[in-house]
Amino acid sequence: MPLISIRGLTKRYGTSVTALDALTVDIEPGIVGLVGSNGAGKSTLIKILLGLLAPTSGEATVFDLDVRTRGTDIRQLVGYMPEHDCLPPDSTATDFVAHLAMMSGLPRTAARERTAEVLRHVGLYEERYRAIGGYSTGMKQRVKLAQALVHDPRLLLLDEPTNGLDPAGRDEMLELVHRTGTTFGMAVIVASHLLGEIERVCTALVAIEAGRLLRSAPLGEFTEATGSLAVEVEEDPAALIDKLTGAGLPAARDGRTILIALDGDRTFDLVRDAVVDLGLSLVRLERRRHRLEDLFRDTVDTAEPTDAAKPTEPATPTEAAR
Amino acid sequence: MSAQVPAVAAETGSIYDIGYRRYDGPRLGRAHAVRSLFWYTLRSAYGIGRGGRAKIAPLTLGFLSCIPAIAIIAAQALIRQFPGGEGLENELPVRYDTYAGSISLFVILFCAAQAPDLFGRDQRYSLLSLYFSRALRRSDYTLARIAGFAVAVFLLHLLPYVLLFLGRVLLATDIVKGVIDDGPLLARAILQSALTAGLLGSLSMAIAAYTPRRAYAVAGIIALFVIPNLVAGIVVALGSDTVGRWLILLSPSAVLDGTNAFLFDTDFSNRFNEGASLLPAWNFLAAAAAGIFAAVVVSVRRFQRITA
Repeated sequence: MPLISIRGLTKRYGTSVTALDALTVDIEPGIVGLVGSNGAGKSTLIKILLGLLAPTSGEATVFDLDVRTRGTDIRQLVGYMPEHDCLPPDSTATDFVAHLAMMSGLPRTAARERTAEVLRHVGLYEERYRAIGGYSTGMKQRVKLAQALVHDPRLLLLDEPTNGLDPAGRDEMLELVHRTGTTFGMAVIVASHLLGEIERVCTALVAIEAGRLLRSAPLGEFTEATGSLAVEVEEDPAALIDKLTGAGLPAARDGRTILIALDGDRTFDLVRDAVVDLGLSLVRLERRRHRLEDLFRDTVDTAEPTDAAKPTEPATPTEAAR
Repeated sequence: MSAQVPAVAAETGSIYDIGYRRYDGPRLGRAHAVRSLFWYTLRSAYGIGRGGRAKIAPLTLGFLSCIPAIAIIAAQALIRQFPGGEGLENELPVRYDTYAGSISLFVILFCAAQAPDLFGRDQRYSLLSLYFSRALRRSDYTLARIAGFAVAVFLLHLLPYVLLFLGRVLLATDIVKGVIDDGPLLARAILQSALTAGLLGSLSMAIAAYTPRRAYAVAGIIALFVIPNLVAGIVVALGSDTVGRWLILLSPSAVLDGTNAFLFDTDFSNRFNEGASLLPAWNFLAAAAAGIFAAVVVSVRRFQRITA
């Protein structure tokens, strides 16, 4: 049984805006990245899974419970971190998170204890007794994560958890998400439009665009299909390019760098052997990820259908409401 | 863990992971969540857990509404010092039956000041998505909030009656007789307080549910309690023969005047309140019930449809 099963899920706002368009995908436990550009339908999908929004048509189940009818049961087992600001400036973090823990069904004492533990887990200490209004963006994001974790959910839905954070804050937040997801095997779904961020912590990716599924696969398959290898040598790269092309690896020159389409581990071996054979000095051997837009174009062109779903051509981009 | 760690963390602001722990304790579910939200709302209505400034308005209004009771008890104690003063006690202007009228302004101000903080605040700071993604249903949320606020209004309204009762009983020459005399009046005051809290509390919450803007909600609540009352005043002035006398049922204050007159005056023909004499008593009770029902339905529908 997959953790989440989505069949032909469609959500329209009014008559003109289609946020989700017959989306079909299974999501397995793990840390799953939900990637797509702004307006691709990520937030809409998360809200439907929580039962916050009703789908226009189609089916979705979480823990084998139907989102339409078993919303209350699902929500007791799920933690949700919204994308937008959702904290009252006049409360302290402790009071607010403890209150929400009780809203999730925890007894008062347990709620207090869990709040202290979870706020410490996300890195808030003495400042948790201060009003949230005085917090920095990074601290607010941590409170948002804490409220999603306080009732120890089985599934964590994070909508753009690194929103508004500086690079160091992003790293810390991602590290925190990673540890939370791996230490106890809590299933996590992280929505983001930044592929570079999400691939650092995720075990699988679900890519959507204009409300349709582009691809759902373990992270490794994504990077194999989309990555490229940048090679730099001390000497003139022309000889290496010839050698690699001869070995069946199409290589392109980009200034001093040679770009090679990555095709599994074999590519690394071929490059290594070619460099050794020619007696060149290898300066750099680096895996390059494409930008998200490229990923989408590439997967549509080249990806093979996975068992979960077939990739589809992106429909005419619709302006999906958040 | 040593006490040093928190200080270090506060300085550097970095995330320290000391490990995430699972929770194996009881999960009490939806009913517990509803009860908790009810108590939380009741406490917030008096500013408890919301910092010092949030307590100013409710405590001031609570104090003001008790002043007539305190003053009357003091006056009663003074009168008794003079020979023959006992007979004058029932001539005092503030009694159980007139008390509601003398504090209605404070109750309305309490509703206008506090209701927008409960429903409006959740919308203003987008807290609804956090509530609605938990064990509660949307209707649970709405009902728990309304009930919590109604009980807050009930306590505000009832407290001065209780003071009046205690004062009179303690000043009475025979305490047992005092309890027997005033007990039924206090029981009526409890009923009147419940009707007031139900009607004014649910109506102000219904208005607060429709706007995240505090100023609009405050203006809306005051307008609802004042404008129909002006209409009712005009109707009363025009006399009882007009069909328009039904219009006074649109005014929450007039409806509560009617129930007050009904509760404290068993001989319904001898009413002190002019507006209340225009219609039979059951009209006012029915209007109060209809008002509460409408306000609750409107609020529940609002939160069923709102985008969280």
